[in-house]
This record gives sequence, C-alpha cells and structure tokens, in this order.
Amino acid sequence: MGELRQIAIYGKGGIGKSTTTQNLTAGLVEHGKKVMVVGCDPKADSTRLLLGGLAQKTVLDTIREEGEDISLDRIMKEGFGGTKCVESGGPEPGVGCAGRGIITSINMLENLGAYTDDLDYVFYDVLGDVVCGGFAMPIREGKAKEIYIVASGEMMALYAANNISKGIQRYARTGGVRLGGIICNSRNVDRELDLLRAFSKELGTKLLYFVPRDNVVQHAEINKKTVIEYKPESNQAQEYRNLAQAVIENKDFVIPTPMTQERLEEILMEYGMMELSDDYKI
Amino acid sequence: MAINLNNSNVATRENRIGSITGYLGSLHDLASQSECGTLKGCSRCFSQSSTCLSSCALGQLSAIRDVAIIHHGPAGCSVAAAGSYYLDKVMAKKRGVTNDTVYVGTDMNENDTIFGSTEQLKKIVLEVNKRYSPKAIFVTSSCATGIIGEDIDSVVDEIKDQVNVPIVAVHCEGFKSRIWATGFDVSDHAVLQSIVKPPREGIKSNKINFKNFYESARPEIIEMFKNFDLEPTFLYCNSTVEELSHISEALATTCICGTLGNYLGNALEEKYGVPYVRSINQCGIVGFETWLREIGKVTGRSEKIEKYIKEQREIYLPKIEEVKKELKGLKAVIGMGPGYTFEVSRVLNELGIEVVWALAWHYDKKYENGDVPPSMKYLLENDIDFGTSISDQQNYEVMNVLNKYQPDLYLSRHPGSTVWAIKNGTPAVYVADEYMIFGYKHTLDFANSILDSIRNRSFEKNLAKRTKLPYTDWWYKQSVGEFLVQEKV
Repeated sequence: MGELRQIAIYGKGGIGKSTTTQNLTAGLVEHGKKVMVVGCDPKADSTRLLLGGLAQKTVLDTIREEGEDISLDRIMKEGFGGTKCVESGGPEPGVGCAGRGIITSINMLENLGAYTDDLDYVFYDVLGDVVCGGFAMPIREGKAKEIYIVASGEMMALYAANNISKGIQRYARTGGVRLGGIICNSRNVDRELDLLRAFSKELGTKLLYFVPRDNVVQHAEINKKTVIEYKPESNQAQEYRNLAQAVIENKDFVIPTPMTQERLEEILMEYGMMELSDDYKI
Repeated sequence: MAINLNNSNVATRENRIGSITGYLGSLHDLASQSECGTLKGCSRCFSQSSTCLSSCALGQLSAIRDVAIIHHGPAGCSVAAAGSYYLDKVMAKKRGVTNDTVYVGTDMNENDTIFGSTEQLKKIVLEVNKRYSPKAIFVTSSCATGIIGEDIDSVVDEIKDQVNVPIVAVHCEGFKSRIWATGFDVSDHAVLQSIVKPPREGIKSNKINFKNFYESARPEIIEMFKNFDLEPTFLYCNSTVEELSHISEALATTCICGTLGNYLGNALEEKYGVPYVRSINQCGIVGFETWLREIGKVTGRSEKIEKYIKEQREIYLPKIEEVKKELKGLKAVIGMGPGYTFEVSRVLNELGIEVVWALAWHYDKKYENGDVPPSMKYLLENDIDFGTSISDQQNYEVMNVLNKYQPDLYLSRHPGSTVWAIKNGTPAVYVADEYMIFGYKHTLDFANSILDSIRNRSFEKNLAKRTKLPYTDWWYKQSVGEFLVQEKV
C-alpha cells in the first residue's frame, strides 16, 4: 500500500464526471486498490452506480437531522468492490449555499476520521465549474493534490476546462495541488482527439486518456451499475480499466497555464472546423 | 438620477452619485475633477478603520418609534442592536415619549447558511408581529444572507397579508459599499417603500420635514418656525409611523446634513413634488440666513422670514463680531463627514479662522439631482481653498496632518478623533451635537467654545508631553497619501 492519493475530478456540467469517476473507481478496485468516492454535488448522484441506486443519506442531511454528533457509518456506505461512498449533499436548487455545504461536509469527514490509512485513493467528484470558493474546497488546504479535468471536443467543455485551470493555478501557487491531465469523454465530434491533444498541450498538461463513446455506458447507467460490473467483458469495460492503469502510472503533475479566450478560439478554429460553417446540416 | 421605489435594492453611493473614500489634493482640484468627471477614488493598501453601512441603516430605522427590525443573519451581525436599543431609549426619554421598537436577530447558523432559512425567517417575523405588535416591520439582510441570496423579498411578499402593518425588505449587506452613509439611503428607501403614503386629498399642511439625527434643538426650532406659521416634523429619531406616512403632504423637506437628507429629500420631491431645500446648511450666519430664505421662497413666507432675520441679527451679530476679534488668524484642521466638513469650513472662514486642511470621511461627487453639493459650491464661489483629503476615518492620516500643520485647533464630529488630537497637543473641539453651530445663537456659542478651547492650552501641552503616540517619525515625514493606491479605471 502506497501513499494516499487524493484526486479531484472537475469538468463542465453533464460532461460525464460522475460516470467516468465511478467507472474509473471500478477499474482501480479490480487492481486491488482501496477507494473512497466523495460526491461534492447537491444532487448527490456521484455514487449511484457504485451503490446500485441513490441509497445514500448525505452528510449535510444527516448533520441537519441528527446534529454533529454522528458516527461515520451513518454517512458512509460500502459499494462495488468495497469502495467507500459518501455524498456531501446540499440545499434544494435555488436556495442556500451549496459551496458552503461542501466546506462543511468535507470538514466533517475529516473530523470523523474518514481518511483511514488503508485507503489508496480518494476521489472528489465536484459539481460543474468552480463557481465559488466552496467548490474549490477539495483542492484547498492540502486535500486533493491531483486533479483531472473531464472534457470533450465541444467548445463549452473546453471553455469550462480552461476556466477550472485558472482555479487550479490559483491554489497551486500556495498549495501542492497539480493538474494530472485531461480525460476525454468522447462526444464523437470532428477531430476530437487532435483537438484535445492540442488543448492539453496548450494548458501545459497531457491528454491522459481518450474514452470512446459507447452506448453500453448508457445501459449500465440505467441498470445502476458501472460498465465494469454490468458488462465486464465489453470493450468499454477494458477502456475504463486502461484509464485506471493510466491514472495509477501517471507521474506528470503540472501547474496549468490557462489560455486567453482568443487563444482558445484559435485552437478551436484550427481543429474544430473541418468544413465551413455554412455546410452545417441537420 | 431617478429614484426607483419599485425595487427594494438601492444602488450604493459609489454607483449612484460617484462617492469616494480616498483622495489627496486641494478643495479646488477635488471640485474641478468632480465637475469634469475625472475624479476617481483611491483605495488604500493599508487601512486602519472601516464601518458597516448596516449599522447606519438599521440605527436610523430603529429610532422610529414602535417598529420591529428583524435582522436576518448570524448573531454577530446584530452587534449594533444593543447600541441602537440604548440610544433609542435614551432619545425617547429625553423627549418624554416611549419607544418600544424591538431589534431582533435571527441567529443564522451553519445549517441555515447551507440550506437557506427563509421558512424560519417567516416564523420569526410572524412571531415578532404577534408578540410585540409593531407599527411597521423591517426585514433586513446581512452579509451572510446577501451572499447566499436569501430571498427576503419573497418572504415579505408571502406574509404581507398576515401582518396588518407596513412590512418591507431592507437590503443592507455591509460589504456592498465602502461608504457608511449608503446606510442612510437604504433606510430612506425602506421608509419610502413601505410607510410613506401618497398625499391625502384636501389636506392643507403647514408642515416641513426636517431630517436630522437626534432632534436636540427640537423645542427651539418649533418655536422659531411658529414665527413663520410652519411646523417641523423631525425625522427619524422618535418619529411615529403615522407621522412618516404623511411626509408626502409637507410644504418642503429640509435637513441638518446633506449627506443625511439627500436621498429622502430628492425622492419626496421626485415622487410627490415636495420641494427639497437645497441650500448650504444652517451652520453659521450665512448658512442660516441662506437656508431660511430658501424656506421662505419655497413656502411663500419670505416676508416673515426677513423680519425674523432682521430681529435676530440685531441681537447676535454684535456679540459674534466681538468674539471674532479673538479668533482671527487661528489655524484649524477639521475631520468630519462630508455633510459637515465643507459646511464647518465655511463657518470657520466666517469667524476669521483659517482652515489649513480638511479631511472628509467620504465625498459625494454630486447629489441625487446631479448637482455638486451646495456646501462645496459655496466655497468655490467664494474662492476659499485649502488642502483636502478624503479619508474614511483613517486616524493615522489625521495624525499625519496634525503633525505637519500643527494647527491651533482640530475639530471633529466623531468620538475618539478629538482625543487623538489632544494627545498630539492640539486643542480640539468635539462638534458632537448636530445643532452645535445652528443659527445665530449657536454660532455665537460655537465661537465661544473655540475661544475656551484655545485660551488655555496647558492641558493639551501637558498631556502630549506625557503621551507616547504609536506613530513613528518615519510616518510623520511621509505624504498623507502614502498608502493611497489609484483605483483601476
């Protein structure tokens, strides 16, 4: 057992952070790793595939209903392959402060001793963009040191990834947080691989892995399972195992160099426009 | 700028009227930069003090009799409640009335911050209404509720029908303005939105709205106005909700301090056509007479007012002239809010005292109607100029000025400020009461107070000898504006 690696997964809303994180986790479990997944999203759906449904009571709901004197097993459930699953939770849409919620729940996990010595990996699956200080909590104060950004070849996914890199750069100056790479969750857009490689290079990092698009992911989700559990023999299951291997072997951790909006658009022009825009067909 | 009473949020002074808290230069430069639009406030890379606009806003509102302030925030945000409560009781007692205003904090905790707590807020408002039967309810925000976007407007809308008194949301997050006086505007806005009604038909009023702080000169002003068949309504200290509901019927609005009265005066004029008296204020002889004549003009009472002026002049002018002989040539530094700094400078000039430096705690580039503040205009038109800095009660800047200029006298309206001057060996006059220089009689008293302060300076000298101030020689050699940083445009 090596040193605990704490990893935060960021990326545009809907890009597939939770799906990727959980499938990656399943891959790591197959490698014999002990993993904890902390969902940092008020929707509390970051551990659904590992737990076989939304079976988790969130940290914040528990604190609210039972006070702060709670035991760890009230908020932590065991999922696929012995993974430890926690959901931070948060307020109803449109009220309160989800960012403050993440700060409170991560502090609570620490106080309750959730970070045990037998863990190899902790994943923080963080909602959408780093919109405020609360969503940067997992990369502050010496928690997650490694970050992966999930992106695709779509403009807004890259825009969000660049923006998130600004947040990483800020905390990298004072803390040890580093960007470990970009994970492409493919949308099958034109020259996606080239675009993601060029984008990653411009950010000063690398494209860690290119996860192809496959409908089996959707089927597995409907069945509340990771692909590795649902169809262990499928190609896509192997892709996630490869992603896990890439994470295990990764040693390139950098302070990202976010680009200007103009530069980002230049890269998109270069790689993202196979044909003239007036050829667009539905 | 149009005043929008349909929105519960008031823009800050910085946004609305270009107010600033950092500047170093001269009065003429400040004025000309204001007029040509080049004035940009400076921030400080080192700041010694700061105040919160919420205590200003809620202090004003809680002084209204028998209302409820419900401050939605963590307990610490309601820290000003104790002071307000004490002051309100004392002021009511002084006047011989009772003030049963309650000031309630909602004591938000961590969970309330994360999940929002508008449901609890509703319960608290209804309970306060049931328990205390206030005449009006102000539901106010704090920094925490402002950041998480607690929808206090909806809470107010939803329970409006369950409370049968005026109720309004007051947005007074402390962080939104560096200028404390934005709180005055916030309180005016709340009163205008919730309490003030349109004028009743057929009512012929002889009332004049008089916005002031603590109405200390109330009896004598009532007496004076009787000469002109006018009746002042003093706002907001000890005001009743009933009184406030009819201020739209008054003949005019006036105030003791432009910073304090600007928003209400302009709003009443804009919305209800109540003329706002925009003259220099009542301090000193020129100020008092200009103000009275302006009132005469807008209320059609010029003849009575001229008669009064003539009588009073005969009584007081010879006495004032007598004291002036002894004040001539004195040098003064003053540090006050802008509503007073440029008025008191004018009075000092009138008394033959040279103002060598004036510090204003902030500066309003213009007032709500778009004009340069009248006090400033007067000084410029009369070619009076002096070193000027805008400094939000940064004591180290005051001390630097006092050390450089070694004036005969320091005048301030803020507790504590004058004590530092005295420790520096500078006689000081604490212009605490807003009516301390009001009209002929108080101008004479004020001149005598100055005379008393400078006649025997041994106290200041001896205290200075035995006091070690915390500032180094290095600091005294620096420019007053050493820590000012030009704000990015």
